[in-house]
Amino acid sequence: MKIIVHKEKCQGHARCWAMAPQIFDLDDEGYIMPGDIDVAEEDERLAWKGAKSCPERALEIQQ
Amino acid sequence: METMAARPVPDHVPPHMIGAFNLFDAPGMPPTPNGDPQAATAIVHDGPPIFYSPTNTRDGRGTWVITRAKDQRRVLQDPETFSSHRAIFASALGEDWPMIPLELDPPEHGKFRSLLNPLLSPKRVMALETAVRERAAFLIDRIAAAGTSCDVMTDFAFPFAVNIFLRFLGLPDDRLDEFVDWANDLLHGDNRQRPAAARTIIAFIDDLAAQRRKQPVDDFMSFLVQSKVDDRLLNDMEIRGTGVLLFVAGLDTVAAAIGFDLNYLARNPQDQELLRRDPSRIVLAAEEMLRAYPTVQMIRVATKDIDFEGAPIRKGDYVSCATMIANRDPEEFAEPNRIDLAREDNRHTAFAYGPHRCLGSHLARREIVVGLEQWLKRIPTFRIKEGTAPVTYGGHVFGIENLILDWS
Ligand code: HEM
Ligand code: SF4
Repeated sequence: MKIIVHKEKCQGHARCWAMAPQIFDLDDEGYIMPGDIDVAEEDERLAWKGAKSCPERALEIQQ
Repeated sequence: METMAARPVPDHVPPHMIGAFNLFDAPGMPPTPNGDPQAATAIVHDGPPIFYSPTNTRDGRGTWVITRAKDQRRVLQDPETFSSHRAIFASALGEDWPMIPLELDPPEHGKFRSLLNPLLSPKRVMALETAVRERAAFLIDRIAAAGTSCDVMTDFAFPFAVNIFLRFLGLPDDRLDEFVDWANDLLHGDNRQRPAAARTIIAFIDDLAAQRRKQPVDDFMSFLVQSKVDDRLLNDMEIRGTGVLLFVAGLDTVAAAIGFDLNYLARNPQDQELLRRDPSRIVLAAEEMLRAYPTVQMIRVATKDIDFEGAPIRKGDYVSCATMIANRDPEEFAEPNRIDLAREDNRHTAFAYGPHRCLGSHLARREIVVGLEQWLKRIPTFRIKEGTAPVTYGGHVFGIENLILDWS
């Protein structure tokens, strides 16, 4: 599973990070780091919940 | 309450698109004992996605009202079409300077956001947590020692929010009472008190900036007067616009959130016990209460003509995105009028969508969660004191005037 990060849509709500800080890394201003995220199999559930928690719909799940 | 100087509905608004609802005097919006103004807004979901409300600002202006969450996202994520440039605070004083970053649009907006974001980032807020917890514990212990009843708003919610703000600014606590008075006059005063308080706060911010410019210390104002955008120092109006916004943005909003939450818990003893027994549930519960009891109505100004879901929005029209309306959208939240403290899929808009996403959201969340956690830990089962009724109100920022709890 992969998370496509639409960085331009991120507004720094940090909901993804609150759900799974080890998967979603934020910069010093509190916005998501650029670059898509490869998710390890054991992290899939958490990553899914994190992506689904983004109010701006900036995180797209790709199976 | 103000008298509304109603203006005529503009000619371009088709009569069938005019709606009776507004956030100031529709049922449930004026000060109401035991009211629930957020729930009262949910009525608009029986109607169309957009309608024109002829008196929907404090000074009686008309606005388009966007009811669906996904349409509010579209408006708030498109600042090029829907601008924040309004100078609401200053224009009430007959002046014209923007609150920063609130009333700036991109790309100008982003320069100031980048400056301020690190100061209130999630990681920075973690470092403030101990101070927030100590403050909550101190205030609540004082209340518990004084008796078995209190007014949550004046004894806890307001002083707590003001205190955290003073700490953020790097100012000592000894001016706390004075600040609470200013904030109260500004937010709840009459037509004379409000501008007077605004001028007092402006003078205070201007004066503090001048002092820190002469002699910088390690605090927020010193940071601001030394900061640069576009390789130049901020000018006086920019420092004022930022300082004043930070002063007003985080006081009433946080206090109201704590008030609405404790009001809900006082009336729902099972949920109260659930959180008291298992404090780890508070984080999720606080999100649900932010969804159900958000407080801010956002206003945008159309920068060009645009047809929106069949409505002819014209350049200069006001467009209202009320967070309490979006948060009760049945297309986005299952059973939106039911409060489920364990709700998981909860992408509410209490802190807005788009580039103006509340700069203080991470701090506000910590204040609310820690405030509730400490309250439940230190105060036994509480209820609304018999013979009293909390008064709630709608408007630009929803709130609760008094909340007398009793645990005797
Ligand atoms: C529960 C408490 C709070 C709520 C519900 C809330 C809500 C909001 C909302 C809805 C906006 C967007 C306004 C707009 O786009 O027109 C906003 C912006 C803002 N808030 Fe908050 N807020 C809260 C607490 C705070 C705190 C504690 C601070 C300061 C530390 C703060 C500082 C700001 C600032 C500076 C902005 C402007 C951001 C920008 O324009 O880029 N807020 N807030
Ligand atoms: S939840 Fe969305 S908006 Fe918030 S930091 Fe993560 S990606 Fe950005």
